[in-house]
Amino acid sequence: MATKGPINDPMIDPRTGEYAVIAPGHNFKSVTQKIAGVVLTSNTPLGWFFGLMVAGGFVTLLVIGLTWLVLKGVGIWGVTIPGAWGFAIINFVWWIGIGHAGTLISAILLLFKQTWRNSINRFAEAMTIFAVVCAGMFPLIHVGRPWLGYWLFPYPNTMNVWPQFRSPLAWDVFAVSTYATISVVFWYLGMIPDFGTLRDRAKLPLAKYFYGILSLGWRGSTRHWIRYESASLLLAGLSTPLVLSVHTVISFDFAVAALPGWHTTIFPPYFVAGAIYSGFAMVLTLAIPIRKFYHMEDLVTLRHLDNMAKVMLGTGLIVGYGYGMEVFMAWYSASHWEWFMMWNRMFGPMGWAYGILVLTNLAIPLTTLWSRKLRVNVGYLFLLSFIINTGMWFERFVIVVTSLYRDFLPSSWGTYVATRWDYIIYVGTLGLFTFLFFLFVRFLPMIPMSEIRMMLPQTKITRGGATAEQVSEESA
Amino acid sequence: MKTTGIGTEDTMAETKSQTDAVVVTQIAPAKLTLAEVRAKLDGKTGRRFWKNLDELAETPAFQELMAEEFPRQSTEWVDAVSRRGFLKVMGASLALAGLAGCTKQPDEPIFPYVKQPEDLVLGRPMFFATAHPFPTGAIPVLVKSDAFRPIKIDGNPEHPVSKGRSDAFTQATLLDLYDPDRSQHVLRHGQTSSWGQFQEAFQAAVRTMPGGQGLYFLSETITSPTLAEQWKQLQAAYPQAKLVQWEPVNQDSSRAASKAVFGSYVDAQYKLEAADVILSLDADFLGGIAHPGFLPLAAAYAERHRYEEGQTMNRLYVIESTPTVTGFKAEHRLALKPSEIAGFARALVSGTAPQGANEETKKFFTTLTAELETSGGRCVVIPGEQASPSVHASAYLLNASLGNVGKTVIYTDTVNPLPSEQVADLKALVADMNARKVQWLVMLGINPLYSAPADLNFLDAFNKVPVTVHLGSHVDETGSLSNWHLNKAHYLESWSDARAYDGTISIVQPMIDPLYGGKSAHDVFQTLLANPAASAYDAVQATARTYIKGDFAPNWRKALHDGWVEGTAFAAKTTGAPKSGAVPVGSLPGGPDGLEIIFRPDPSLYDGRYANVGWLQELPKQVTNLSWDNAALMSMDTMGDLKLEETDLVTIELNGRKVIAPVLMSPGHPIGAVTVHLGLGRRAEAGRVAAGVGFDAYAVRSSDAPLFSGGAKLTKAPGSYDLCVTKVHAMETRGKFAQLHFETPHLEGATSLPGNEAMERGVIRYATLEEFKKTPGFAHEGSPMRETPEHETSMFPDAWNYQKKDPSTLKVQNAWGMAIDLNSCVGCNACIVSCYAENNIPVVGREQVKVGRNMQWLRIDTYFEGDLHAPRAHFQPMTCQHCENAGCEQVCPVGATVHTPEGINTMVYNRCVGTRYCSNNCPYKVRRFNFLLYSDFDTESLKFMRNPDVSVRSRGVMEKCSYCVQRIEAAKITADRENREVRDGDIVTACQQACPTDAIVFGNINDKASRVAKRKAEERNYQVLADLNFRPRTSYTAGVINPNPELA
Repeated sequence: MATKGPINDPMIDPRTGEYAVIAPGHNFKSVTQKIAGVVLTSNTPLGWFFGLMVAGGFVTLLVIGLTWLVLKGVGIWGVTIPGAWGFAIINFVWWIGIGHAGTLISAILLLFKQTWRNSINRFAEAMTIFAVVCAGMFPLIHVGRPWLGYWLFPYPNTMNVWPQFRSPLAWDVFAVSTYATISVVFWYLGMIPDFGTLRDRAKLPLAKYFYGILSLGWRGSTRHWIRYESASLLLAGLSTPLVLSVHTVISFDFAVAALPGWHTTIFPPYFVAGAIYSGFAMVLTLAIPIRKFYHMEDLVTLRHLDNMAKVMLGTGLIVGYGYGMEVFMAWYSASHWEWFMMWNRMFGPMGWAYGILVLTNLAIPLTTLWSRKLRVNVGYLFLLSFIINTGMWFERFVIVVTSLYRDFLPSSWGTYVATRWDYIIYVGTLGLFTFLFFLFVRFLPMIPMSEIRMMLPQTKITRGGATAEQVSEESA
Repeated sequence: MKTTGIGTEDTMAETKSQTDAVVVTQIAPAKLTLAEVRAKLDGKTGRRFWKNLDELAETPAFQELMAEEFPRQSTEWVDAVSRRGFLKVMGASLALAGLAGCTKQPDEPIFPYVKQPEDLVLGRPMFFATAHPFPTGAIPVLVKSDAFRPIKIDGNPEHPVSKGRSDAFTQATLLDLYDPDRSQHVLRHGQTSSWGQFQEAFQAAVRTMPGGQGLYFLSETITSPTLAEQWKQLQAAYPQAKLVQWEPVNQDSSRAASKAVFGSYVDAQYKLEAADVILSLDADFLGGIAHPGFLPLAAAYAERHRYEEGQTMNRLYVIESTPTVTGFKAEHRLALKPSEIAGFARALVSGTAPQGANEETKKFFTTLTAELETSGGRCVVIPGEQASPSVHASAYLLNASLGNVGKTVIYTDTVNPLPSEQVADLKALVADMNARKVQWLVMLGINPLYSAPADLNFLDAFNKVPVTVHLGSHVDETGSLSNWHLNKAHYLESWSDARAYDGTISIVQPMIDPLYGGKSAHDVFQTLLANPAASAYDAVQATARTYIKGDFAPNWRKALHDGWVEGTAFAAKTTGAPKSGAVPVGSLPGGPDGLEIIFRPDPSLYDGRYANVGWLQELPKQVTNLSWDNAALMSMDTMGDLKLEETDLVTIELNGRKVIAPVLMSPGHPIGAVTVHLGLGRRAEAGRVAAGVGFDAYAVRSSDAPLFSGGAKLTKAPGSYDLCVTKVHAMETRGKFAQLHFETPHLEGATSLPGNEAMERGVIRYATLEEFKKTPGFAHEGSPMRETPEHETSMFPDAWNYQKKDPSTLKVQNAWGMAIDLNSCVGCNACIVSCYAENNIPVVGREQVKVGRNMQWLRIDTYFEGDLHAPRAHFQPMTCQHCENAGCEQVCPVGATVHTPEGINTMVYNRCVGTRYCSNNCPYKVRRFNFLLYSDFDTESLKFMRNPDVSVRSRGVMEKCSYCVQRIEAAKITADRENREVRDGDIVTACQQACPTDAIVFGNINDKASRVAKRKAEERNYQVLADLNFRPRTSYTAGVINPNPELA
């Protein structure tokens, strides 16, 4: 590939013309110190406390919102007949979608040996888990009687009743719970070598104890590494279908229904692509400030940002194709229901939502992401990540709300107006997500030290047992 | 034990009272005399149920026990302010034990309708016949009583007037009975008093009045022969006493016209079964019992409007001002301002087209005149009660000249035994009050401080009366200011009699002892008569001896049992030839300037008497589908002229009086006129439901122009108001939509998007008679969207086989289904209220309805078609379709909505977790969700009203129409016990039972001889949204209209 960046940029590898995955000049020690230092430092940055406090405020808001919800019922939201689903389902799908990038990075990219993923996979996985925490809450709280939510699980009971397995909501239960389980296990497994490092480097007895327990007796022996690697590979193999299946099942929540705007076969692929699209946007939202704040530009380089932007461009195009196909099929099917739905979605009273969707999800990202200059422009990417996630939220809004509010019988057409409690709970989950993330960056290694170390040139064994570093030092 | 929750207290009270009942019978010869007992019980709250004689004796030991066991309640007892808090705990309260425990039958013998059980069989309802007294004629009813609690009111099937049908008001009087805001005490200056004290004071005062001079009664319209008889006796004793009957909505027009034209007061009875052509002059005879004879008229209209071989389909012409369901059922509807209707009617009499009419009106006129002339003797002209006297006079003349009298219309004595022209009488009364001639003003069931014409300044006059007495069900606007307030007994609690539309007398018998010891007007009159202790029962029996022929005792029993007295229907009265020109058209009151304002009784609340009945407040009003509130209804053009939008407020100014009202566009409303509905804008005294809902149109209504008036000025008022229209919940959509048309107000064929879509989607299918004759299968032609796909197109064609044979009996199982005839449905709303009562449906309140959360299981969809200025409207009752291939069942994750082998889509409330997915996947959007805790589990009085066979749903649960599964099961159990099959007609759903036009038929579609199977076999039968392959069990019969080709 031809070099497009500034030639004299030290970050650009002159051999490939790409940005380096890790800035030159790092060795095992510097990497370990840099990453472990964030966790083991005794000087917690004030900004962290401030951020945690703000996020904690939103968590409080969430607790208030949920308490009121349980006390009064889902009627405090804007849900109604015909729009019986609203923010809760939109948020559920949105959050689950966001989680997908983490799994894709940790599983699929691992299988494809995309080593650049190593820098970002840990916090992408953390993002997945926190997103699933936020998402998993919604199916439970959105039901009318949340205290009976466990009825969706197949468990032996004296009533002798089972869930109704034909319902996509019952499939959701399995999809999401499997996803959450695998994600947590994979995340934890990946951290074990790093926990070993932290245990060894920790000064505080409490930290020693804490990380010692978590490291499960990791000693870094070859046998450990062999087992670790094969477990990782196995979990990656297990997670890979999940990347595709979870959002497919969630798209069935809509696709199985008879409602125009929901009843469409294109949903599974287009939901998965959308999920990855929004997930990478969220990784950018998180990565950009973190690398800045913790000075991790060396480890999370422009190469990562560039690559993620490329993934977004690719998935964004698939999403765009999905939208196009929806419109095309609405016309081509010659079904009055479909065509009216599409017309109403675009030009009806809620056409503004479709407009926002097209603007933020297609028009802005898909025109600009072709430019490498913009792909490595940190400020632009940060802004774009918000734009895309707004767009993806509106995609779910358009699907859920604008399909429901004007369906088959004109007599039951209505509208949907979110209440303050809808917003409080949505903002509250954003707060919860951020809150958990703040805890994560402070107490867990946000970048996998072991994997970064493996990527250093020093690990490249050359003839005569010299590492690449030695070779390069010699040649220099 | 003390306050462990309502439920335990209930059970406690119940078991206690049962054991005590035994005690009572054992120590029957008590020391107390009956009179003493009665005196003790007077003034106590609640039913006069007493537990033991100690209580009555009020022994110290008993008092101690009271104070000890229920200390909290005994303090709350005296505090009037905490009455509501008190209601919550009254299950435990001793004096109210009668309410909480089993209830007692009235003392006087009443007779069960169908069966006469030797004793009460718990769980098996009994049916009693009585009548709902209403100013336009009593509605004979059959009351379902469970453990002596009335729980459902339906028409009396054996009565010639109702034939089992009923209407929204009658259905809703049930909630009226159990209204927790009903007044519970006799009040004197706001303090609790007793009936005895009132009687004493009243008798003493009247004794001092020579001949009753200064004694005035202001009564609601009397339809009771006994009350009239009592009044005659009273007047004989006190010749100077005066009785004024007045109601804000009355029949003055027909009274004035008949007096002028015939020289005497007559009522007209129409025989629509003999009419080929019906002309309504502003008569909303299909809307409800506000029009006299609604039930027989609607039934006969629908019968003749059904297309059958060998029957001429009738044709309805309506000339009206305010759009009504009658107008929209008409083949030809002409919207005229009220001032123009009298002229049009007069023109019909003279045969020359009305002056200044436009082309359209002229064409209408000539066609109508020709049609009436050719069908002389087989047509009928019906004037509306809210039309001017001149319209009535014209109708008398027209009917006479067309030879209809004796054929399609007969004239009879008035249902009101003491007919009068009420507004004139009220004016005279107010003059007497102002002249301080009135010493005692006794108001019987009337609320003039709310509803009297504004120009009479009734309050000023009222303040000049030394003693005012108010007999009313609520301590309302009048009751709270009167010296005496007497709590009125509900008609389900009292003895009386009443005449129905055809003159037949029904005995009003109590279903339950007065819940709060209320009294009726009979008791008030009786107080002054020779035998003041005589009860209403005695008075009714005394009068009944005059009209019950033959052996009294058995015939009285038969009258009670049947619900009507044989041979009391009015015979046709021979009137002379009508006097022509007796009532001039007259000039428009208020002058020709400004807008014309039309005052109409509210379609749901009538004159305001039902304002505290939540069912009716929440009921979407006919045509407009406005729930809660009232609005200034006007056409889109008037709105455009005034630069108004639907969310705007407007100040209505008439004769210097002002009221602020929200604006609502009403398709088909005449341009240059505005309609306001009376009966809302009640003050806080009216009750928790009524207070503050809507605006008070009485505030601008004057005694000179109680029906309509010119000279109204409408100006935009600051602020905005969001009405809740259930048809389109999103008001902003409606508002913008209306504004869209301001640009081109007279756009040819301007249509509504929902209406268009309803046609396009085959939701509404209809044809003219000509088209139907040409293509009998019109309902299935045209778009492929109209047809159900072949069975084979389903992946699971035989998922449900409804032709299976029961292995034990080898009989084909039942398959329940419903057919609704859109030709017959007149959109009167009776079915919705019936469903409320049958299925314990909660009332959710204005704010919830506004966002679309009304809980009615059944709704009547109104679709407008064509030009917004002269639209056609279609009514379609829509409820759960019980799809064989139901989408809701497929998506419920917990199996809370499942199919029965008989094809009913059932809701298992206990299993529902509330994902609401079922509602999303329901194309008919007929599922209703308890978004909040809507059912009232606390108010004691409402607990008695509930149908024990239907569970009361709590928060977070989906619900919907069940095809009245409780009735199906009851019928099956009965059939099983009698060792037979369920017969067609055994099962009648609540909506079907109420329907005045037999639009709804329910039954077993596997039984090819059943009515429903026959309806479904008709070519016009179609399923809504058939192409979705949901295979609904409810189908509709496409409408056929019979327009005059000249006007098509």
